[in-house]
Amino acid sequence: MKKYITVCAVALAAIAGALVSGCGPAKPTLNVYMWSDYIDLDLVREFEKQNNCKVVIDIFDSNEFMYSKLKAGGTGYDVILPTSYMARVMFEQNMLEKLDHSKLPNIRFVNQKVLADLAIDKKMEYSVPYMLGYTCVAYNKDKVGKLPESWDVFSNAKYAGKMTMLNDHRETIGAALFFLGKSMNDTNDADLAKAKEILLKWKKNLAKFDNELYKVGIQSGEFLIVQGYSGDLFQVLAESPNLAYMCPKEGISMSCDDWVIPASAKNKELAYKFIDFLCEPKNAAKNMEFTCYSAPIPEARKYVSEENKNHPGMFIPDDLYKRGELIRDLGADNAKFNELWDVVKGN
Amino acid sequence: MENETSHTGARNANAGSKLSEYLLTAPSFLWLCVFFLIPSILVFAIAFRTADPSGGIDAGWTLSTIENVLKNSYLGVLWRTVWVSCAVTAICLLLGIPVGYWIALQKPKYRYWLLLVVIIPLWTNFLIRIFAWRVLLHPDGFLRQTLLALGLIPEDLFLLNNIGAVIIVTVYTCLPFAILPIYAAAEKFDFSLLEAARDLGATRFCAFRRIFLPGIKRGIFTATLVVLIPALGSYAIPDLVGGVDGEMLGNKIAIKASAYRNLPEAAALAAFLSIIITVPVLLFLVKQNKLVKSIINTRRSAGDSTK
Repeated sequence: MKKYITVCAVALAAIAGALVSGCGPAKPTLNVYMWSDYIDLDLVREFEKQNNCKVVIDIFDSNEFMYSKLKAGGTGYDVILPTSYMARVMFEQNMLEKLDHSKLPNIRFVNQKVLADLAIDKKMEYSVPYMLGYTCVAYNKDKVGKLPESWDVFSNAKYAGKMTMLNDHRETIGAALFFLGKSMNDTNDADLAKAKEILLKWKKNLAKFDNELYKVGIQSGEFLIVQGYSGDLFQVLAESPNLAYMCPKEGISMSCDDWVIPASAKNKELAYKFIDFLCEPKNAAKNMEFTCYSAPIPEARKYVSEENKNHPGMFIPDDLYKRGELIRDLGADNAKFNELWDVVKGN
Repeated sequence: MENETSHTGARNANAGSKLSEYLLTAPSFLWLCVFFLIPSILVFAIAFRTADPSGGIDAGWTLSTIENVLKNSYLGVLWRTVWVSCAVTAICLLLGIPVGYWIALQKPKYRYWLLLVVIIPLWTNFLIRIFAWRVLLHPDGFLRQTLLALGLIPEDLFLLNNIGAVIIVTVYTCLPFAILPIYAAAEKFDFSLLEAARDLGATRFCAFRRIFLPGIKRGIFTATLVVLIPALGSYAIPDLVGGVDGEMLGNKIAIKASAYRNLPEAAALAAFLSIIITVPVLLFLVKQNKLVKSIINTRRSAGDSTK
């Protein structure tokens, strides 16, 4: 009995503690919903100090999860960071605030070329681009030598069981379509049928379709060749000198994550300030060096340390940039990709 | 056995105990309704709704989702899910029964230490333990290199990212849940019965099989359920240690709900899975119930005859 009383007492104390701390002096709070390890926390602290507020960061690991949470009635977020295609879907569903540019003076720094070439929301009507990344291939150069720049590496049976591709149907089918010389957003049935054959061939040599474990796997020698996201891979590459990367000549997928303000946001003023703060070139530079992704703010280059001025993740070289294509939402044609992926993965 | 007065007394007490029985079961019944029955019904209902392409659920009703699921024949995944789960259950029982038997035979003061050893791994987070297995089964890891050096496995055999790894790790995570109910049943088992069987000429194994195993039937049944059901629904283990062909039904449900943004199809598959789990269990319970009733009846009649 005594034990239960102690347990109850501890529980009550915990609840009381939570209540008391919840009733402290009301500082305005900004609730951010974004990907993990994707912002320099020093910047967040600086923003908190400047605006005498509190920033709470909540994490999602897939656009679809974030979207379904909001759809299911999740509110309380003031600023969200979806990938462009998902931002578009949210905009079409009237879930987003139309941006008032007078509150975002720093968006004049955003690269007009990136907006014109890649962005879905070219006028920044509802979103402001944050970071650009691309999908490339990292490999263990000690074990496999220098690889040619082609998606065809995955057909090499010599490395069977030691290669991974992303567990993402848009990326894998996209890679196969690129290999065929097509666009990764191609929905032509004949092309997709060919892409399926290629993927089935590649699959025989793969250890896994994976989005997370490949980072540790390539470092530990479990995998020799992996398809992955640029920022993640560059973070790994910085730690392991025996690794190299290549971007297939046939084409690479690019993605851009955009800040949006949901219509349900409670603290819109602070949300505007936050987005504007991150567009400031000095802050963008700091953020880039932390994440290894590329902020579309050319001015930021001035503030980046000398060794990173030509970093391929932070400042995407022109030839890579030309190979890049953005993932688009395919609407009803998504079903074709889903079906194909089901066949590839095996029912 | 019982005299008449206690019979009538029991009858009066019966009405009272019925009420208190209802009152006692009400909270757990309510709990199950709110957190199990209603969500399950919702899952079944969503399977008949139309999907909206942006990932929500539309207002309409349709049978096409079910048709799609049946037409797409998830037979491969389904078959893999079932056979892997059955294999895991069988291995867990094969390992769990001797361990439970052995622990129950120890002196009480050692038993608790041994049980503690069984339970201690559960103090570490499930995911961390799976990641530990990834280290253990790593291609350059101690285990594979030793097996290679001893010539026990071929050069092209990997221990990770295949269905074997899924089975090993699932057995590992489920084993404590198999050992505990078997031990609980074995602890109550009267081991002198085994000696009696030996005295009557049964071999050691025969006594174990024909006296001990039926004696701990309940424990084996519970162990089967608590291993088989989570194994059928497993998602994280095939995702983390499985290979390109290691997907189970749980992974399919996850991808439908997230990447494909198709909740009705996810719900249809989930409903499918619950039917697979529920039907055999219900059949078994009905059979078990009949068995129990028949046992009670025979005991009663035996009691009557001795009166």
